[in-house]
Amino acid sequence: MAPEMEELVSFKGVVKDYGSKVIGPLTFSVGRGEILGLLGPNGAGKSTSIRLMLGLMRPTSGEVRLRGLDPVRSHQKALEEVGYSPELPNLQTFLTPTELLKLVGRELSIREADIREQIPKLLETIGIFAYSDTKIGKLSKGMVQRLSVAQAMMGSPTLLILDEPMIGIDPAGVVHFRDLFREFLANGGTIIMSSHIMSEVESLCSSVMLIHSGRVVYRGAIKEFIEASLNARSVHLELGKHSKELLGRLRQIPGVQGVTETPKGVDIALEKGRDLRGEISKTVVQSGVDLLSISYSRSEFDDAYVSATRGPVD
Amino acid sequence: MKLAKVWAFAIYEVRRAAARKKVLALVVLTILLDTVPYYLLRTSRLSLLPVSDYPYLWVAGVFILQGFFFPFIALLIAAGSMSEEYEQGTAEVLLSKPVSRDEFLLGKFLGGLLLMAVVILLNSVLSVSAATFAFGPQLSLQVLPTVVLAQVYSSLVFLSVAFLSGELIRRSSLSYVTASAVFLTSYIVGIYLRFIFQLTGDALYQSASNYLPSTPVSALPLLAGQPQLPTAALSLLQAVGVGSDEKSIVFSVVLIAGYAICALVIARTYFNRVDVSKKVT
Repeated sequence: MAPEMEELVSFKGVVKDYGSKVIGPLTFSVGRGEILGLLGPNGAGKSTSIRLMLGLMRPTSGEVRLRGLDPVRSHQKALEEVGYSPELPNLQTFLTPTELLKLVGRELSIREADIREQIPKLLETIGIFAYSDTKIGKLSKGMVQRLSVAQAMMGSPTLLILDEPMIGIDPAGVVHFRDLFREFLANGGTIIMSSHIMSEVESLCSSVMLIHSGRVVYRGAIKEFIEASLNARSVHLELGKHSKELLGRLRQIPGVQGVTETPKGVDIALEKGRDLRGEISKTVVQSGVDLLSISYSRSEFDDAYVSATRGPVD
Repeated sequence: MKLAKVWAFAIYEVRRAAARKKVLALVVLTILLDTVPYYLLRTSRLSLLPVSDYPYLWVAGVFILQGFFFPFIALLIAAGSMSEEYEQGTAEVLLSKPVSRDEFLLGKFLGGLLLMAVVILLNSVLSVSAATFAFGPQLSLQVLPTVVLAQVYSSLVFLSVAFLSGELIRRSSLSYVTASAVFLTSYIVGIYLRFIFQLTGDALYQSASNYLPSTPVSALPLLAGQPQLPTAALSLLQAVGVGSDEKSIVFSVVLIAGYAICALVIARTYFNRVDVSKKVT
């Protein structure tokens, strides 16, 4: 977070002890106007961090602040202008989307006339207007996910906390949500988004925070994260008929860390900072083998994430 | 605390509880219990029942369910009130909004009470209607609002016990079983204590029975209605097994308030100090 940014969320030495597992100490902050991608393997502590932010649980030790307030003690004030969409959108199946948003509007103390005005617009924006009066229990998973985001956006929040918002959404919906979140940011909003879809985080977020085994192992810009964490890259080849001899030759290229044959082709691990695609292509062609395709197996961001989450935290 | 938010949660709770099949089944059963007996009595051409009792037959339907059936409905409504929110993960969304936990807790409890009041009112309306339809105009109906009010107030005991159980245990089935065990134990121990009192004449057993949570639930509506009911109606009640040894309205009112307040204070304290549980998977 840039030093001049107003802090919306801050964690100082926060620990949550579950007995069987300890999350923390976590120290970080999120500034106004940021879109932060919260990354980490399952069980690393992402959802715990979110629940602590929202005052749904108390920290065992340390200090959590949301909009400068303790979200447990000053719950009502701290949660004003905050929208939250949970990882599993467990919404009330016996209500319709309209009824659910009415309830949320009342929780937010919005005037009845404004609730009535806001609901159709929001349902339209989120793409489920046609299902306004269908019981939530009868909606598809993707529609429930959309509704979950809609209820988070009710009442014009300035901070959105989204736990896996794109899960279950069809590709068109993903594009729609991406535009929606960008518009929200352009209007001065802030987003904290937990996701396992790296491409989403990369395309949307201005910065990332990686939590691994209950600790913050990185907090900053995506570009710097890639530079700091990317240890090795992997190139994938699709080849015509070839012999073991070619694999031996590929292994001998300086900078190649390893060559693995898989049912789908050949994976080659490269040293950090080395782009050997030209060398590799030349070696294959000189061997008289057909080179059907050559590409990086994963994006740099994916590779950086894999490197950063491999092994225990220091 | 904002009353508008409390009311929003109360209405939500009525919708939530009414959507449950178990509660709906019990409401349907209430309707059957209030109508079928009158129909059977009418079609069997009563010879044992004096015609002078006909105008008071409504009392049987109004009072007969209060001691055993109403507490069960209260348990069903309230045991799932908090626990199902945790089980289904819906508490998380509701409590991530700018609402206080007190608003949520109070709203949920009042919603349960509201639904219970509707069931009790339905019972009275159906009993009077069925009795009128089967046996002609009914008398002494001016006492009905007092009785209904007393029944609603009495339901506070097992509503709050089950509500507490749901909050502490956070599993709907287990909290229902636990709260039912409290009710059944109280009910059965009460029968034993009164039986021992009749055998020994020792007033200690009667007093002990009067302090059980199930006792004022049965006693208060009867004590509230008794002064305005004629002897014929009271004899009818005795004949259908509705009676109580407790004689003091004030004692019953205070005891009900005591049980309800204790349970709600414990539930509130626990709810305010413990994390909101994640969905049970």
